[in-house]
Amino acid sequence: MRSLRRALFALGALGFVAGAVPLALALEYEGGHQRELIAVCGPLTGWAFIGTGIFAWLRRPENSLGALMTAIGFAACLASLRVATEPWIFVTGLLVITLQWALLYHMLLAFPTGTLGTRFERLLVLTSYVSAALVHPVSMLFQDTSRMGFPENPLLISAEPDLVSTVSRGRFWVGLFLIAALAVILVRRWRGAPTVRSQTMLAALLSGGVVMLLLAAWYVAILAHWDPVLIERLEEARIVALALVPFAFLAGVLRGRVAGAAAISELVARLGEPEGRRRGLRDALADTLADPSLELAYWLPERNEYVDAAGRPVALPTAESGRICTPVESRGEPLAAIIHDPSLQAHRELVRAVGAAASLTLENERLDAELRANVEELRASRARLVESGDAARRRIERDLHDGAQQRLVSLALSLRLLQSRLAEDPGAAAELEDARKELEQALEELRELARGIHPSVLSDRGLDAVLEGLAHRAPLPVELEATPGERLPGNVESTAYFVVSEALTNVAKYADATHARVRVMRENGRVLVEVADDGVGGANPAQGTGLRGLLDRVAAVDGKLEVDSQPGHGTTVRATIPCG
Amino acid sequence: MGASILIVDDHPGFRAQARRLLESEGYLVIGEAGDCTTGLEAARALQPQLALVDVYLPDGDGFDLTSRIALLTDPPTVILISSRDGAEFERCASESGARGFVPKAELSREAIEGVLQ
Repeated sequence: MRSLRRALFALGALGFVAGAVPLALALEYEGGHQRELIAVCGPLTGWAFIGTGIFAWLRRPENSLGALMTAIGFAACLASLRVATEPWIFVTGLLVITLQWALLYHMLLAFPTGTLGTRFERLLVLTSYVSAALVHPVSMLFQDTSRMGFPENPLLISAEPDLVSTVSRGRFWVGLFLIAALAVILVRRWRGAPTVRSQTMLAALLSGGVVMLLLAAWYVAILAHWDPVLIERLEEARIVALALVPFAFLAGVLRGRVAGAAAISELVARLGEPEGRRRGLRDALADTLADPSLELAYWLPERNEYVDAAGRPVALPTAESGRICTPVESRGEPLAAIIHDPSLQAHRELVRAVGAAASLTLENERLDAELRANVEELRASRARLVESGDAARRRIERDLHDGAQQRLVSLALSLRLLQSRLAEDPGAAAELEDARKELEQALEELRELARGIHPSVLSDRGLDAVLEGLAHRAPLPVELEATPGERLPGNVESTAYFVVSEALTNVAKYADATHARVRVMRENGRVLVEVADDGVGGANPAQGTGLRGLLDRVAAVDGKLEVDSQPGHGTTVRATIPCG
Repeated sequence: MGASILIVDDHPGFRAQARRLLESEGYLVIGEAGDCTTGLEAARALQPQLALVDVYLPDGDGFDLTSRIALLTDPPTVILISSRDGAEFERCASESGARGFVPKAELSREAIEGVLQ
């Protein structure tokens, strides 16, 4: 960086000398070609282009516009050598005269990013350089300048006026095409640019565009054999217009700063209004920076990660992803990151300023995001708890079944065998029968207990089978109006089962109902579970742990539970469970 | 002479005891199997008159096995057995084509004949 700075200062010093050369030559050679014009515009163009170019080069070394402007400055100085009447100096100026236009063409086409976006654009620039730096100098070998009242051409091999004229006309036609293509591309680019940027671009594009239009008019004038005086005036106008380009460029930069400041104060005002706050910070920043794809990520130091507004973890874009990330800091600590389009790269200071202006709102949004992240984490951990609880119950049921139940079954069968052998001892057989009945009672209780812990048929056969069992065991008539008819995710099935089971238990205990009906349906990405009775109503989820427990259980899978229980109108328990 | 029986259950202890009990009550236990695959194979090869099929088997469940047995030529009558509550799977049992259900602890000639009647 430091070596670049030193080199650019050296280049600046060289530029200062280069700008003085046209002035010195114009003073030296009375009667030189375009002497007055070169005396005034030569140093002006050279110094302004070189000065502005080196300034831009220092500020943005990665952007080639600075280098291009500097090159135009030097080319303009060299082209001014044509003022000399000394043949070698004169012809050097004449050789370089076309180069400044090719460089300006390149600069305008690369504006404002400094790069040529498409193959077509690169082809246009290449064509313009070939025409200026190859075709024109070669044709000079055949141009007899003394016949036009200029100093003689020391490069002349043989005077071929027809050849030179044909080549020049060809170059001019190509030039007209190049300028037309440039006009179309620049108008499109300017109209597609965000407001903040288009204001910065306008001055530079207009001044450069005027030079190109004057060049085009000059080509047309020569091709159409217009009045030589008019041709001369057009050329002079172009030289003056070129001198103005760097100033327009500077004005554009200053104006862009003002536009940026205006955009920031508009943003601050907008964030102060309720309507602006309602529409959200992201939208406000996206509008200000004219980047609809803009995203915000908030830094949560405790978690050591970035999250979005909803509290979900966000990975910042990498260098290859084609997105750019501008960090926003507050009191030296990371606060947030603005993830935006690479086209804003050239305006990162504006992005930073916008981020700084919005930092208070960003801090608030970060608190919200942190809260949401915590809520999300709690929700996930609650769902995990319920899930691991379900798994534990399944395991206990399975253990009971495989352990105690099997032993007791085996005991019952042994007793039955013994009983048949003791047929001749009625007293012992009767006692054995009592023991067997006792054992059957114990087994029945154990089965009941196991089913209460977890109905094995639920995990093995699904909701349809388990609902059938529930309806069958209920002490009142239960009508199964609808069952899903398919397997659902495990946590959805067990939640639906617990809703129906608990609701039917409540109906049996409190409702004094004659009839209940059950519906479990899958529709639109959710499962609706409904248990309705024709009992006394008046159930209140706030009292009684049964319904309260159901509320928690349903909420743990992001579902919703409603209890509709007007006194005298029966009770309807309705759960909605998301089921993707 | 009692009917020929195949017992399909994954607990060898239960199978042995059920065999002793059923044989003492006059049945002829002609085979035992521990899962659906060998159960179906035994039902095909041995052609028992009765098959006692546990509801929970390691490689499937008794309902599936019962429906597959029903597709054999001259299939045995299937009675589902379980140490779990029979009310839970009444519908599955009837849909699978089983004749009925007997809790394991209550297994006896009396209970089997009660289902067959």
